[in-house]
Amino acid sequence: MSQAPSGAPSYGAPVLSVHDVRKGFDGAPVLHGIDLDVPAGQILALVGENGAGKSTLLNIVSGALQADGGVIALDGIVRHWAGPRDALQAGIALVHQELSIIRSLSVAENVLLGDYCAGPRGFVDRPAMRARARALLDEVGAHHVRPETRADRLSTADQQLVEIAKALTRDLRVLIMDEPTSSLTPHEAEALFVVMRRLAARGVCVLFISHRFDEVFRVADRIVVLRDGRLVGDRPAAGTTRDAAIADMTGRAFSFSRRVARPARREESVLSVRNLCDRHWLGPVDFDLRAGEILGVFGLVGAGRSELLELLGGLRQPGGGAVRLFDGGGLPATPAHAWARGVAILPEDRKAAGIAPNLSVHENMLLSWRRTAPGWINPARERGVVAPLMRRLAVRARGPAQLVRTLSGGNQQKAILGRCLAAAPRLLLLDEPTRGVDIGTKAEIYDHIAALANEGMAVIFASSELPEVLALATTVMVLARGQQRLCAPNEGLDEASVLSAAFSFEANGA
Amino acid sequence: MSDGESHPILRRAEATPGLLPALRQLLRERREATVAAMLVLVFVLLSFGSPFFLTERNLFNVARQLSVVAIVALGQALVIIAGGIDLSVGSVIGLSAVAAAMAANATNSPAVGIVAALAVGGLTGVVNGTLITRARINPFITTLGTLSVVRGAALLVTNGSPQRFDNWAAFLGGGRIANVPVQFILLVLLAALIWIFAVRTRWGRDVYAVGDNARAARLAGLDVKFTRTMVFTISGLLAGLGGLLLAGMLSNANPNLGLGYELDVIAAVILGGVALTGGRGSIGGVVIGAALMGLLRNAFVLLNVSGYWQTITIGLVVIVAVGADSFNRKAEED
Ligand SMILES: Nc1ncnc2c1ncn2[C@@H]1O[C@H](COP(=O)(O)OP(=O)(O)OP(=O)(O)O)[C@@H](O)[C@H]1O
Ligand SMILES: [Mg+2]
Repeated sequence: MSQAPSGAPSYGAPVLSVHDVRKGFDGAPVLHGIDLDVPAGQILALVGENGAGKSTLLNIVSGALQADGGVIALDGIVRHWAGPRDALQAGIALVHQELSIIRSLSVAENVLLGDYCAGPRGFVDRPAMRARARALLDEVGAHHVRPETRADRLSTADQQLVEIAKALTRDLRVLIMDEPTSSLTPHEAEALFVVMRRLAARGVCVLFISHRFDEVFRVADRIVVLRDGRLVGDRPAAGTTRDAAIADMTGRAFSFSRRVARPARREESVLSVRNLCDRHWLGPVDFDLRAGEILGVFGLVGAGRSELLELLGGLRQPGGGAVRLFDGGGLPATPAHAWARGVAILPEDRKAAGIAPNLSVHENMLLSWRRTAPGWINPARERGVVAPLMRRLAVRARGPAQLVRTLSGGNQQKAILGRCLAAAPRLLLLDEPTRGVDIGTKAEIYDHIAALANEGMAVIFASSELPEVLALATTVMVLARGQQRLCAPNEGLDEASVLSAAFSFEANGA
Repeated sequence: MSDGESHPILRRAEATPGLLPALRQLLRERREATVAAMLVLVFVLLSFGSPFFLTERNLFNVARQLSVVAIVALGQALVIIAGGIDLSVGSVIGLSAVAAAMAANATNSPAVGIVAALAVGGLTGVVNGTLITRARINPFITTLGTLSVVRGAALLVTNGSPQRFDNWAAFLGGGRIANVPVQFILLVLLAALIWIFAVRTRWGRDVYAVGDNARAARLAGLDVKFTRTMVFTISGLLAGLGGLLLAGMLSNANPNLGLGYELDVIAAVILGGVALTGGRGSIGGVVIGAALMGLLRNAFVLLNVSGYWQTITIGLVVIVAVGADSFNRKAEED
């Protein structure tokens, strides 16, 4: 039984009650008796370090996992779900940490999944389906998403909206979102907050997990902190400071207002890019990167951040321009060539392109490192590579043999980041490097990247988090609809100037 | 909520941890454990059920009968772990058998026959791999096609008639060393070799990564095309060897040799705990799977049960073994 934190605020009659919920995996306890009451219309942020048990708790509430003990009640009535379907029927919907949209289906089919409109003869009534999907999409503010579009053509933000629209199909009481903004730009996140507030105003309980403290404070009414499977903090958002919440999370005083030490820039050129375009709409892009430099690429969604990294990593064919890499050659033709030449790539989509879910942490971290190691595996040597990285990146796992799919989201991210760092590249390409990583470890990772840059590595990273760009980058580039808007040393830049560059396309009315 | 008294929820009985959590975990983590348990069970039952079972003669017969399926299953396992499937192995057995016989007879050199069998197998594997990786045809379709083409070729070159194969190379399939069938010795050696390849070399580990998430593997710098072509080539080579062994055992190469073997081989692989979805499985498990199939076959002979029941039972065993396994891991899958 957990001790309810002292000074827990009291609210109105709960819609959702969680009582003494426990859960363990393979004998290792993950949740040690959680108690939580959520009244109607409250927006509750659940925060905590990677692996604290946040996703596990919300998965239990939404029927995706079974608790080992404890109960869940809706409107004071104890409920038991055999699966997410039951919970959805009762009005509890979960939008996953890893989006679970079905890529080959249309938006309408995804929104109405399992609930197609049947025509008179039992066939699917497509016009009726489209109309219903349209109405639901409008409700979440996705006016620009067309029901006929195939789901895999949507941006991550739009896919997210589709998932929320999907949750609205039934009488919704509790909406649960696991790191909903982790791959959204500030602008898109803002749009999502509007939807969250609108649902809350209708009396829906909104529970969300986030590692971004600025948004937690902006949108949540209440902040609940989980540490090592225990509820250690429960405060109203108003009147709580960021440092207090972080202290709850980590169990020690922590000051976040720090900047990463700047690596020394050198003269050797690592990459020079002239008029680089892809075959569609990206470019022309121009920049020079020297050893020790960290280029942070910011932009709204569809700005071309990922596309630029994909061009440089050999995942995408260039349409024109000249590129000169440190070895004198041009762009790598394939990812295999890139790695072989010392260019490491961290993809944005962790689930689809990052992890090998059924392989161990050890295997995942060494996947790229092995390219340059002898073909005959030397386990002792491999352990010598993995262990320090796991410590440095604070990968929380039972051991290097744990399967990556059973790690928490943030720890999966650390594992594939470790894969890139293990390979000791000359040029590191990172797309959303700290997606889903907790705030304490983020600072660790920035330090680590800066230290590697100091030793002569060059880094290009794309991020939708402006504070991250400003904290880590030595040079900031802003893209807007494929056009390079800004490329300047990170001195005297602030959020406002970077944002205005990112929006400049709109402002020009082009 | 610190006030338990006024809480609207009644406490429920606390769930106790599972009865045999350690065993359950073993079954979940090692898919082949279920099959190993079945193997032991069948072995014990047969020891009591038939006085002939535990004789040296019978045991070596079982060993000989399961060797070819097990050897070909080693290659198939790599293909399936890499996320593919090779339906052409049965036909490769047929064509490589007749190729071995015809080449040996024509040149009077059994060594040429051995090379011919392996070349036919390896080449079919390379063709399969190339079609799959370069022409991007799905493995099921590709190998369904080669299954037909290769069998047709075996019938065409022999005009449908069996070929004599009774030179020293036949010793590999029919011979014994200190009473142990040579085939079985080969199986043990190859299983050890493939196992070491799978767990101790970069190329072996790459097979798992490619099968688990090909896109991630590609982005991590792996040569996915090479890995896929490699596993089909290994599968072809081992099927070619299988053809050679079968022909040697029968002193005769029939173009229809190995007909339907692909199903036995795939069943052994799946029974051994390799996931059809790729990325998961162990070489040891595959050998256990093939051994269980061989033991069941033997059981029907010893217990004098109709061969028809044998076919039905093997199908059921595959379903039960895989079903039990999914049941064990159901909770965490979704
Ligand atoms: N299926 C599983 N098998 C074994 N362990 C698991 C499984 N799922 C989760 N865990 C473990 O439970 C712990 C809590 O995981 P959870 O996903 O709830 O963390 P989280 O708080 O959501 O972290 P993050 O911020 O990284 O998303 C982790 O240590 C994780 O390794
Ligand atoms: Mg999580």
